Amino acid sequence: MMHRPAVAPMRKESLTYEDVLRIVQLVKSTRFSEFRLKVGEIEVQLKRRNGASADASAPPVAAASAAIAPSSSSVPGRTFAPDARLVRSPMVGTFYRAPGPDAEPFVEVGRHVEPDTTVCIIEVMKLMNSIAAETRGVVAEILVANGAHVEYGEVLMVIGPDPEDG
Amino acid sequence: MKPKASARSKRFDFIDVTLRDAHQCLWSTRMTTAMMTPILGAIDRAGYAYINILGGAVFDVCVRYLHENPWDRVRLLCERLETPCDALTRGQSLYTFELFPDDIVELNSQVFARLGVEVLTVYDALNDNRNIASSVRSGHAAGMKVNTMMTYTLSPVHTDAYYVARTRELVQLRADFISIKDPTGLLTPERGRTLFPAVVKAAGGVPLKLHSHCQSGLAPEVYEIAMQSGFRYGYTASEPLGNGASLPATEDIGARARRLGFRTSLDAAALKEIAGYFTCVAEREGKPLGRVAAYDPALYEHQIPGGMISNLRTQLQTMQMEHRLPEILEEVPRVRRDLGYPIAVSPFAQYIVTQATLNVVQGERYKTIPDEIRKYAMGYYGRLAAQPSDEFLERAGIQPGDLVTERPGEHIEPWIPRLRKTLGASVPDEDLLLAAFYDKPLLEPLKKRAPQYEYRTTPLHELIRFFGSRDDIEYAHVRFAGTEMTFSA
Repeated sequence: MMHRPAVAPMRKESLTYEDVLRIVQLVKSTRFSEFRLKVGEIEVQLKRRNGASADASAPPVAAASAAIAPSSSSVPGRTFAPDARLVRSPMVGTFYRAPGPDAEPFVEVGRHVEPDTTVCIIEVMKLMNSIAAETRGVVAEILVANGAHVEYGEVLMVIGPDPEDG
Repeated sequence: MKPKASARSKRFDFIDVTLRDAHQCLWSTRMTTAMMTPILGAIDRAGYAYINILGGAVFDVCVRYLHENPWDRVRLLCERLETPCDALTRGQSLYTFELFPDDIVELNSQVFARLGVEVLTVYDALNDNRNIASSVRSGHAAGMKVNTMMTYTLSPVHTDAYYVARTRELVQLRADFISIKDPTGLLTPERGRTLFPAVVKAAGGVPLKLHSHCQSGLAPEVYEIAMQSGFRYGYTASEPLGNGASLPATEDIGARARRLGFRTSLDAAALKEIAGYFTCVAEREGKPLGRVAAYDPALYEHQIPGGMISNLRTQLQTMQMEHRLPEILEEVPRVRRDLGYPIAVSPFAQYIVTQATLNVVQGERYKTIPDEIRKYAMGYYGRLAAQPSDEFLERAGIQPGDLVTERPGEHIEPWIPRLRKTLGASVPDEDLLLAAFYDKPLLEPLKKRAPQYEYRTTPLHELIRFFGSRDDIEYAHVRFAGTEMTFSA
């Protein structure tokens, strides 16, 4: 088969891709500072820096998921008022305060929300998830910056009781 | 109607995917134009009927990662190749997964024809043929032949009758070719034996093409069934870039065709040269070669592409939830059923996996539903293969009145007047389209000058290119057949 050349003497009349492949594999798989090869009609002589490591052209590593980036916005160990309701991220993702780059934010601190009010978007695996307040109240705090990476279960916003209620 | 083919005139012809889907599957779409040009002469001599040079991912990777202007590549390949070139789009979504207005789709067809594309290949990931109608119409108007694809999948609703109905729609659209596209390699010889003759019959003389991937290891046998059922063409790749997640090797399918008594136009010497060249390129660039896959029954269960599973595993690791992967993979078929059996290709594979993950991780099904999935379920992207489950519709809060029944392209206003106003009346059509697809910062790097391309190669050339590509080699001396060369860094 083409990509598994048998170990056979190189043909003398013409250099083939199989020959090239064998030379390339030989160069890549060995450490040397000097390399001389003479088979039949072909002669190759190489000098390499410091007998550098064999493989400079290693296979590309798959693009790392954005989810690996450390969170810049978590607030470990924070405690919240007992009557505060917390809006948490359903997944690892990216937090957006507005429906588009030029759009107004869904909510600001002090804004009254109903359970079905969308307060932010979490982008998960390139899909947009509208996150609802799930409670009635007033936005007390927005803990995450627009565009920030968020962890699973991370607190995004704090919804406090509405002073006009009750 | 064509006269019935006699044994003497039976032919099977080939469409090359080495410059497109093969490296999309095996090299993450990272084949540069510079890697293609040296071998174009041999590809032209290999006897292919058509050469597929463009698809959605190739266009996108050119812009985002290779920083090559995709139009320059299309122009160059069409100019250099005498074999007719075929370019693929995702219909109303062209190269992305959002929907574009009809005027952008039409302009894209005009640009293709002007650059020298002879066959426009088009498909819709929902098999909603209303989403390819504007492409077929504008492709014909621009003077191209149009190859329409229907995507194969396994589900209770994707029966032979379903594909026969789609085939009839494509005949109605006056498709010049009809293809069955099997992106995850799910076709089996058994299914081919019923599906292929039914589709050939429904196509009423429109030539058929098969485009199947090799994940299950069964594709070469499936190609044999296609030939025997009356398919005229098969999509294949040069051997080092064939098999695995890619399409079958031209060499293999060619040999099978000849054994079954079909004539082909393949040139073995040219194919050997192409395979030798790409084997060396793969070695130089550290890219993998296609390997024949062992038959894998698990593929038929969740139908999720391998790349997506490894991506999901990484995400779960960061949440310390990797142990829940089996549960998620079990949830996948249930979500697919609830969503009306979308085909597990982009973007719907992401929809299914993301929703299954949310369902498992949140401990409650459909507590969070991504906005795109809600839009999909309302028919915003096109007709669903089956009705979503009541549970899903209820949790998503979708009422019968929310459903979109018109053709998706219908609800998008024309863009060209606005873009011409912003970019100036004299903006070239190619630039206008790029501006329609991408934000300005992404297009800046495309302005750099293209490198000087090499149009010829020999094994000796490739050896020299390899030495030249290594930073660690400071001196090389090569002597061969009366030629002597010395390089030093």
